[in-house]
Amino acid sequence: MNWLKQTFTGIGIVRLLVYAFFILFLILPLVSVFLVAFTNEPINLFGSLISLDTMQTTIEQFKNATLDNFKAIFSQGHYFDALKNSVYLAFMVSVIVLLICVPIAYGIARTKMPFKRTISALCTIPLVVPTFISAYAFIIMFGRAGWVTYIYQALGGEGLLIDPYSMTGIAIVQVFFFFPYALWPMVAAFKISDVSLEEASRNMGAKSWLTFITVTFPLAIPGMLSTALVIFSVSFSDFGTPIILAPTDLNLLVVEAYREIAGFFNWGGAAILTVIMIAVAAFVYWMQHAFFKGKNYDAVSGKPKQIKLNDNKALTISLSAFSGFVVLVPLLAMGTVFLQSIATTWGKDPLPNGYTLAHYKTIFTSSLGNIQNSLILAFGALVLSVIIATFVSYFVVRQNAASLDFMTTVPLIVPGIAFGIALIQTFNTAPLQLTGTAMILVIAYTIRRIPYMIRSTVGTMQSIKADIEEAAVNLGASSLTAAITVIGPLMLPGIAAGSILVFVTVIKETSVSILMAPAEWAPMSLAIFQNVLRAEYYSAAAMSIVLVVLVIVLQAIANRLTSKQSS
Amino acid sequence: MGSVVVEQLTKNFSGVTVLQNINLDIKEGEFFALLGPSGCGKTTTMRCIAGFEKPSSGTIKIGDTNVNKLAPNQRNCGMVFQSYALFPHMNVFDNVAYSLNIKHLRKSNVFKKLGVYTRMLNSKIMKYPKDIEQKVMDILAYVELTDHAKKLTSELSGGQQQRVALARALVMEPDVLLMDEPLSNLDLKLRHTMRNTIRKIQQDLKITTIFVTHDQEEAMSMADRVAVMKDGEILQIGTPTDLYSNPKTPFIADFVGTSNIMPGTVLNRENGMTTIQIGNQQIKSTLATELQEVQVVIRPENINVLDEKEADYDNAFEGIIQVATYLGSTVRYDVKVGEHELVVDTTYESGDSILSTGASVKLSVSPERVLLI
Repeated sequence: MNWLKQTFTGIGIVRLLVYAFFILFLILPLVSVFLVAFTNEPINLFGSLISLDTMQTTIEQFKNATLDNFKAIFSQGHYFDALKNSVYLAFMVSVIVLLICVPIAYGIARTKMPFKRTISALCTIPLVVPTFISAYAFIIMFGRAGWVTYIYQALGGEGLLIDPYSMTGIAIVQVFFFFPYALWPMVAAFKISDVSLEEASRNMGAKSWLTFITVTFPLAIPGMLSTALVIFSVSFSDFGTPIILAPTDLNLLVVEAYREIAGFFNWGGAAILTVIMIAVAAFVYWMQHAFFKGKNYDAVSGKPKQIKLNDNKALTISLSAFSGFVVLVPLLAMGTVFLQSIATTWGKDPLPNGYTLAHYKTIFTSSLGNIQNSLILAFGALVLSVIIATFVSYFVVRQNAASLDFMTTVPLIVPGIAFGIALIQTFNTAPLQLTGTAMILVIAYTIRRIPYMIRSTVGTMQSIKADIEEAAVNLGASSLTAAITVIGPLMLPGIAAGSILVFVTVIKETSVSILMAPAEWAPMSLAIFQNVLRAEYYSAAAMSIVLVVLVIVLQAIANRLTSKQSS
Repeated sequence: MGSVVVEQLTKNFSGVTVLQNINLDIKEGEFFALLGPSGCGKTTTMRCIAGFEKPSSGTIKIGDTNVNKLAPNQRNCGMVFQSYALFPHMNVFDNVAYSLNIKHLRKSNVFKKLGVYTRMLNSKIMKYPKDIEQKVMDILAYVELTDHAKKLTSELSGGQQQRVALARALVMEPDVLLMDEPLSNLDLKLRHTMRNTIRKIQQDLKITTIFVTHDQEEAMSMADRVAVMKDGEILQIGTPTDLYSNPKTPFIADFVGTSNIMPGTVLNRENGMTTIQIGNQQIKSTLATELQEVQVVIRPENINVLDEKEADYDNAFEGIIQVATYLGSTVRYDVKVGEHELVVDTTYESGDSILSTGASVKLSVSPERVLLI
């Protein structure tokens, strides 16, 4: 009785609701998808608790459970190839990204390379572009009618310079659009790594290049491996690039899983691929945390030290040229998309035949619905994540809710497509038939992006001292009233910054949108995707530009909010 | 207003006992200090009374009510936090009005509740009713902050913030006022002024007050009674004079004021006089004791420096001055007597000469002033 009384206070009920939300929409789907990998049929765990008939069916399904799918991984070349290809792709991308980033990071952190500021600024571009747009940009650059192909052939080349519809194509897009994830941590590492050690080395007579190879570089290695793992998981989970570029004969886990469910309704197949995906992603996540915990660059307390910048002309100019090339590629890609969006027609020529705003007119008339859908869905996810994240951070910081803390990091690990499949099959039937509704879409977005929000709100919550809340309670407020009148307002800046981040990422979201959005709720990303599939490149281009501009504007607002908060 | 009775209060934090059998009987209107070094459990005791910590066992009564089962927001204890814990997003007025808003919130229906919430989030949108306005301005006038009502708390000085915290706690007309090291964030001069302010307010309002501090001077100068705590236990409860003149343990003797403490053995008791052997010296005390091995405590100001001429005294010792420190109205000597070094305070009047290091002196102490613990 006493226990009941303590649980069913206002805040206690909220806590139960938050737990219920994550268990129902995160844990339950992941558990069911795992079980479906054995039963081959969608199972209804939630329904089993309510209806005896469903329970009966579920039990029947378990009786027929087999290990066939797991055996198939190794016997049937199909699934195994997909795993092999995906891991190979992610591995290559992370290695190449590392190789590219070392000189750029060194250039930015340790030299007086020309155009350093411009290059740094341009490095943020790839982060705001959703990968399916960058993939599509590569098609209109490197495809049969692309301007790169035109130049290549004019110079005497034959066929295509690079076939975008290939493993190479996918890898190149990912390299050029994911490298900033590795670049900034690496810049930090080069800035922080102990200069006195280098001076010691030079003092003992080592030349500067020798110092770099024997001291600077080795010191940065643990951090580099850690960032390589980040790139690995980003590339491994990426859905946007492969879904646009993967040719039919190239098996990749994400694409394969999407085809199994969207094309053949093969629940068992989709489930086993999902399980594999999550297993790999979780393994990588575990490695990163097991081996590199506390070795991250930002864990070093950054005492600002005067670093002597290298100003060797030959070195800085070549570094600058190389960095310039790397940042130029995404820039050119976006420029191409922009040109396409204002082109009347653009055949196999270096420039469009004429210019028009007609495509934008079309977008804002016939496709206005998609923009509205994106905004409404993103707003829905924003509201839901603000509410949940605020309470979660309260429970995590003030009540040490460790299990909640763990649960809310799970979405970081699960690839979007895997999570989408899990949700679809779990909420396929009564009593909670949500598949195909806007609601489940909003919930999916929310769960996928809430870790970012929670990180932001937990930070703010930790900066609010416990005695402020105690003071409110001491003055007669219940925990809930204290949360509304004191904690809430104090967390507002953190919440605002976090919620814009959620909004932006939801608008960019590809995998869940393409997999789960019903036709009447198609957001911009789905519309662009369908236009690209239908080869309606002009409207796809215009819509992409609208999306990217929206993202850039919102991101700028968020940055301003966070910088205000920290100052 | 109410008395506070704590019986057999024990508190464990994950197996570690931080409070053991705390018993307090604080009278209505009393100014009561909990004094002790950091980690002694004084703050935990206060937090148990406020309801922020749940006792592992024992009862706490405020007035006639057993508050063990009451949530902290139902106990009506005004608390002044060490950090003041003012709400940084609210101005002085809103801070002070907080508890009054809460009272309105409890009484009103759903629509009015929304109104009160709006007011608590932004008092510009929703105006305060007359009665709250009046009460807040009265208490602000009382702590001399009328001109600062619309300021953010971060724009105030430390002393002003302290008074806001005090006003915020007082406006709810608490049964008990709890103060957790309220002066520790102030500079020395301000601390002295605030001591008087707090003491005066407490006297005016006759409000039962529990004051936590590690500063013995603070406790002794403000409180009606003081409980000295150490390692989760109460060593002694008494009036400041009582604690000073009759410390029950060497710890208190040392913690409350300065003391010379020496171990000794009781030799005999004759004619109302106890003789104690300390090293190779003997000392007499009027106090009786049942113990064989005792701690002899002598306050520095109770030791007299004798002129050579003065005749025999009971309890006279020869010593050699080690250090002489001039402190304005007093001179403090560290004097080596046998194997002990005694601290001796003598009043200093202008023209007096100060004895120099190495000089030999004769000291005496009256047997009434020799405490045996």
